[in-house]
Parts: sequence; C-alpha cells; structure tokens
Amino acid sequence: MRMLVRPVVAAMAAVALTAVTATAQSKVNVVTSTEDLASIAREVGGDRVNIIALARGVQDPHFVEPKPSFILAVNRADLYIAVGRELEIGWLPPLLTSSRNARIQPGARGYLDASLNVRILDIPTGQITRAMGDVHPLGNPHYWLDSGNGRRIAQAIRDKLSELAPDGRASFAQRYDDFDRRLAAAEKRWDAALAPYKGTKLVTYHRSWPNFMDRFGLEVIGYVEPKPGIPPSPSHILALIEEMKRQMVKVIVVEPYFSLRTPQSIASQVGGRVLVLAPSVGGAKEATDYIQLFEYNVRLLAAALKDVTGK
Amino acid sequence: MDWTILQFLAPAIVASLVIVGMHAYLGLHVVERGVIFVDLSLAQIASLGAAMAVWQGYEPQDPAVYWMSLGFTLIGAALFATVKGHAARIPQEAIIGIAYAVASAAVILTLSKAAGEAEHLRDMLVGNILSVQWPDVWLTSLIYLAIGVFHYVFRRRFLDISIDADAVAARGVSVRFWDFLFYASFGFVVTRSVAIAGVLLVFCYLIVPSVGGMLFAERIGTRLAIGWVMGTVVSLLGMYFSVQFDLPTGATIACTFGLVLAAMAAARPLLRRRA
Repeated sequence: MRMLVRPVVAAMAAVALTAVTATAQSKVNVVTSTEDLASIAREVGGDRVNIIALARGVQDPHFVEPKPSFILAVNRADLYIAVGRELEIGWLPPLLTSSRNARIQPGARGYLDASLNVRILDIPTGQITRAMGDVHPLGNPHYWLDSGNGRRIAQAIRDKLSELAPDGRASFAQRYDDFDRRLAAAEKRWDAALAPYKGTKLVTYHRSWPNFMDRFGLEVIGYVEPKPGIPPSPSHILALIEEMKRQMVKVIVVEPYFSLRTPQSIASQVGGRVLVLAPSVGGAKEATDYIQLFEYNVRLLAAALKDVTGK
Repeated sequence: MDWTILQFLAPAIVASLVIVGMHAYLGLHVVERGVIFVDLSLAQIASLGAAMAVWQGYEPQDPAVYWMSLGFTLIGAALFATVKGHAARIPQEAIIGIAYAVASAAVILTLSKAAGEAEHLRDMLVGNILSVQWPDVWLTSLIYLAIGVFHYVFRRRFLDISIDADAVAARGVSVRFWDFLFYASFGFVVTRSVAIAGVLLVFCYLIVPSVGGMLFAERIGTRLAIGWVMGTVVSLLGMYFSVQFDLPTGATIACTFGLVLAAMAAARPLLRRRA
C-alpha cells in the first residue's frame, strides 16, 4: 500500500505544480508597497495580474515590520511598484536585497517608482539647511492623495504592464480608459461637494495631506507634530493654538495611526474638532479602493466643514 | 510549510546562532553581577552617539555615525565601571536605569533638532533580523570571535570579579580597570547586535539562556552549555513559527524564548524528583 501511495502523491503534486506555474506564467506578479498602488494596479491590470500589497492601509507606511511572507512575495514578483520619494527608505531597500530577485531591483525593468511622473509638492528649493526643520529633499511622498496623481500613476502602471506583458496591451489600455472615465466622473462630484469651502483653513497632524488639500483648494496652516515620532514642544502647541484662534481654524485632520490625545486637547482649546481621515486605501473600512478612498474622505471632510462654517 | 523560504532565512539563522554564542556567555556575567538591564542602557547610549552624529550633519550611513556611537558606548562603559556603588549603598541597577532614561530622552531631544530624515534613523539603529545580509553576518562573526578569544584568555579574572568582586579587590587587582574592559567589550558586542537584531531580541538572547541554565545547573560550564543549546533551539523554533504563522521574526523569537523558559521551569520539578 505504502509503495503505491508515494508515486501517486508525487504525481498529483507534479500535476498541481505544473497547473500553478501554467496560470502564473500568463499572469504578471505585481507587489506594491501600499494598498493605494495595489488598488490602481488592479484597476489597470484586471485579471491579467496577481497583486500583493505589503503595507496595510491602517499602517504608517514610513514604518513597516517585514515578515517572512514579504520576502517570498517580492522574490516571485515580476514587477515591484514603490511609492518612492524615500517614503519606504526605512524598510524597503533591505527587503529588496533579501529577496534576491534581480528583476525588481531599482533600475531594473521590473521596478517602477510610481512618483516619477506625478506632481510632487514641497520640493525644497536651493540649499537645504538644518534651520528648515523636517525637510524631505525629494519632496512630499504622500502624493497619491491628489486624484490627478492617481491618474498619472495609472498611466505609468499601464505603460509598464504593457512593456512586461505585451499581449495584454489592448486590455490594459482599455481598462485604463475605463478607470480614467470613472475617476473623472467622481472628481466632478468631489469638486462639487467641497467647492463651497474653497479657501477654508485647516491644521493636519503629519504632512500627509498637502496634495489632497491642494486639489480641493483648502489651505493647511500648521501641523500638530512637526516631526514624526518627536513629540511637539509646548511652545509649538501654544503657537499653533494662537494661530488657529487668530485665523479661526476649527478642524484638525489626523491620520488613523496617530494618538488623538494632543489633537483633541488643541481642538478643545480652540472650540474646534478632530477629524480622522484615511490616508490610504484600507485605512478605513469604507475605503475599499482608490476611488472609494476619496469618496470617504470627501464625504467626512464636507460634513465637518459644513458644521464649522455653516455653509 | 514552504521550504524555499529557507534560502532567504539562511543569513538570519546564521546571525542568530552567532548572537547566541556570544550572548549566552556574556549573559552569565550580567546575571551573576545583577546588572540585568545594562545592555538596554548601553544600547541607548550608543543610539545617543549616533543621533548626535546625525545632528552634526552626517548621513545615517556614514561611518562617522558608527564611530560616534562606539565612542559613546565606551564612555558609558567607563561610567558603569567607575560609578559603582560598592561602598555608597546605591544599587548599580539604579545607575543603569538612570543612564537608560536620560540617554533615551536625550535621543529624542537630539533628533528633534536634527534636519530631515530623522524619522528613519530609528529604523537604522534598531535592526531587523529578517533583513540581515551576509556581509553583516561575517563582520559580526569576526568581531565576536575576537572578543570571544579575549574573554577566553582572561576568563578566570572576569568570572572571579563577576562572582565576588570584593575578594578579587582584596588580592590587589584593579577591579575598576577590569570592569571597564568588561563593559567596553560588552558595549562593542551590544552595539553590533542591536544594529542587526533589535533591542528586544538582544535582551532575550542575553538574559533568557543564562536564566534557563540556572534552573538546572550550579556549575558555570554546565549553565553555559544549557544556555547555548536553549538559544539555538529557540532561534530555530522561533524562525519556524515566524514562517509558519507569518509573524514578524524578531518578536516571534522573543516570545518563543518566554514559552520555552516557562516550559523548562515547569519541567524542572519532574527532573529533580527523578534525580
């Protein structure tokens, strides 16, 4: 009996293995740093791609704890899509090295830096000095929160996928056009929802929102935590409270992975409110894909601004 | 379980075994001296050195940052060797704890003054065993080998001081000098291993095997043997759990240490009765 079972099991395993490799061959294995990039890649790639996102939407993408499955996923990837602008500098470089996958190393054909043709804000001009405080020399890495940039990311992914899997070119182009159409229709709704509040001033916790606020004509006048991980000094908080009172700022936008204690105490000082928005797909239950992410944030922000401005 | 993962885990496995070899031994001294948290304290002082270098405008990858952190570690070693409350009734753990708290706070202050990229510095100081690369493993092995030989040559002296410093001092030996050598070599090791494995894991590698050895043996040699076996088994078991349940590797190994130690403590009465 035993002698019979062994070869049968081996044969079954071999069949299963070839089946797996056969389907894997026709699909492009894509790994992305964040769920935002995964969502856009899914829009463009459809069922011609397998997609794995490493950082969860509820996680701070600056700090990601690598797990063994990450190495395996990256090892098998045909395409790695990174946010870039040094957002992942703390965890991605050693992960890519450990994966020992030459196809997706920076500079190789299978590595796509999604930030290369998007509109980047906060790029410091001239000499960077220490007096400027926390400066990202390559500009603000939270650029995906402008839907215009989402479209540019989708174009870059369409072009890259067409290069890696030429037989899918027509499908990628058609899916991109469809995404572009739906995004444009949604943008009209979002612009309309936030139009009454153009020029309204806000405070945010971390510098995650310049692209989002810029897109909808809102103005950020200050940050609760000038540097991630470094608690603000009392004089910084006092100055922020004074400034919020002077300019009648009532809303503090916070990312879900920060403590609400400091923002809440500031908000109670100025008679304002704290609003937790999702900076990434998966950062809130309703933010299931890239378009839903904006849908969610715009709805919450419009409701809060309606309350405090009375418009 | 997917065995292909093993080829990627190989550097991490070898690194953890190298760390076991060095730390289970140093842990005996640390537990014997009752300075349990000295590694956390020295690691924090090393971070302060690195933070100072970054504040001075060096890139986090610059060798100057490493030398600066090593320099701070040596100052810390000198501090722990000199400010010893033998006569002064102050427990040494208190001094170690104060050094830890002040150094941690000073790191926060320093980083708050440093320009950009400061948020990444923490990741670079506190390594992740999963992303260890072969060159790191070889370099670490060489450093530990050199320090291991040094400790092997002077093993009697170090051990006598760890067990009963007063008796050694009575023989006219400069305990202070040997203590400085001990803490300096210890700081060298800890700075290195924290950079590749992280604070939490290094603490476990240092303390748990030597406590495990104490459960079953009186003689130092036997304790060391038990510690080495325990450290090796836990490293491999922890890696296995980490892969099997897809959990962050360092934290999984640390929890496995706790589980295995609890199991050993539970098994102890049974073994004793039979003996």
